[in-house]
Amino acid sequence: MFLVHRLIRFFTVIFGVLLLTFLLIHLVPGDPVEVMLGESASSADRDALRAELGLNQPLLQQFGTYLNKLAHGDFGYSIHTKASIAELIKTRYPATLKLALLALMIGLLVGIPLGIYSALKAGRWQDILVTVVSVRLSAMPAFWLGPVLMLIFAVWLGWLPVSGMESGASIILPAATLGFGLSAILTRMTRTSLLEVLNDDYIRTARAKGLSERVVILRHALRAALLPIITIVGLQMGSLLAGAVITETIFSWDGIGRLLVESIEKRDYPVTQACVLIVALSYVVVNLLTDLLYKLADPRVRAA
Amino acid sequence: MLAVIAGYLFRLDPNLIDLNLVLQGPSVQHWFGADDLGRDILARVLSGVKMSLLVALTVTVITMLVGVLIGILAGFYGGKVDSVLMQVTDVFLAFPGILLAIAFAAVLGPGLGNLILALCLTGWVSYARLTRGQTMSLRNRQHVQAAESLGAGVPRLLFRHILPLMTSVLVVEAAYSLASVMIAEASLSFLGLGIQAPNASWGAMLRDAVRFMLVAPHYVLIVGLCLMSLILAINLGGDYLRDSLDVRRDIP
Repeated sequence: MFLVHRLIRFFTVIFGVLLLTFLLIHLVPGDPVEVMLGESASSADRDALRAELGLNQPLLQQFGTYLNKLAHGDFGYSIHTKASIAELIKTRYPATLKLALLALMIGLLVGIPLGIYSALKAGRWQDILVTVVSVRLSAMPAFWLGPVLMLIFAVWLGWLPVSGMESGASIILPAATLGFGLSAILTRMTRTSLLEVLNDDYIRTARAKGLSERVVILRHALRAALLPIITIVGLQMGSLLAGAVITETIFSWDGIGRLLVESIEKRDYPVTQACVLIVALSYVVVNLLTDLLYKLADPRVRAA
Repeated sequence: MLAVIAGYLFRLDPNLIDLNLVLQGPSVQHWFGADDLGRDILARVLSGVKMSLLVALTVTVITMLVGVLIGILAGFYGGKVDSVLMQVTDVFLAFPGILLAIAFAAVLGPGLGNLILALCLTGWVSYARLTRGQTMSLRNRQHVQAAESLGAGVPRLLFRHILPLMTSVLVVEAAYSLASVMIAEASLSFLGLGIQAPNASWGAMLRDAVRFMLVAPHYVLIVGLCLMSLILAINLGGDYLRDSLDVRRDIP
């Protein structure tokens, strides 16, 4: 039952996302064709583009054509370079995916151990230090943390490349920018969640049985404490994807986020539309996966 | 507040160009140094915060009014209205973070009015969800049902018996959303989609600062530190409000 409901919701949301991204171009104040081509364009050029985008058809028919094209993997063409948008996305998407996954790994590998450490030392100076640092870090948006990391590690220390994607090390700074923000949130969540669980009866039982502290924490407490973390990670993937837009711009990382920003600057709306759609769809799929994962991991939800 | 007072106190012109000072580091006359056009960074930070607060407050007030109205009606009536609303909010929440605001700002074009519009179009959703949930649980409280059976009209029920009980939750939500709207505004301005030159905005300043980072690292560091401190202060204010009003904030 859960699965059926969740899938119905998944498809209605996808339909809504398609509808909203389709409507985007109609939100352009005035004539979108004139905005895209500039005032100097000839009326023949304008008519050609209007016909190509199907803007002279009735709205419902336009939406139908839009869906039909998407179903065939046809995202249309860039207005300026005439390149196929599907091709653009195919070359840019893996870069963003790589960045997001590495950032996720950094976030998990830094955030969860720090959260556990902080919870075990609750109230002591180590805990306070970790909390102070993670609170500061979570108040640092990517467009400030990014430049600071760049300044320290690339400009002053010269350890890592400033930007671009030429060497393998180029990914470290943008991934760290995204990952540290995530780890700050995960540290705080893990700490709270673990402290809550540690007061439970079954932990007292486990300790009373004479199990070592290590087993109690790792086997018993952590398993329950990490459940809410799955949901948080799923939700945070959203900020990771959105943060990628800014991080990629700062570090000249040729992913989907940078493509989006470039297309906005050039008023290449079909490309903008496609980028927004792809990022939103990725997020919807990630959310579906986290929900399913949560269900698999939590026996209480499985029974319900 | 402090920023506004300070702005008058210093009587610095945020748009005064002095090319002798281009990208100069902090000094006695110019505590925070000067930017790429020789403008005083302190003065621009102060005028930027006024702009940010103005945008954030406007957006928070508008989104709260719209979101609360939609949420309270959906939560009260339930049924079809409610399920349509939930589907609409689901779709809005399917766009991660500020992506939808970026999309709206992109098609609407840059400028202060469009920036506010883009942030409002995306911001009402969280209030609508929050208010709906609260209304649904308050709807069946005894005092509401008593008032209803005594013949109170719907507006009276909503605004005298239900709304007052959720003010503390809404105040806390507003405090947190003030910070997130400021970050969103700065992000959009950073991408060149928000407040336009010559008006100062922290996002746009950071955008310039990053370009001149190699020659003038003080620029990016100072503006970023100011931004971080402000966000931190607002969030801590939100924590204080939450604790003193005793609101449990569930993560959506």
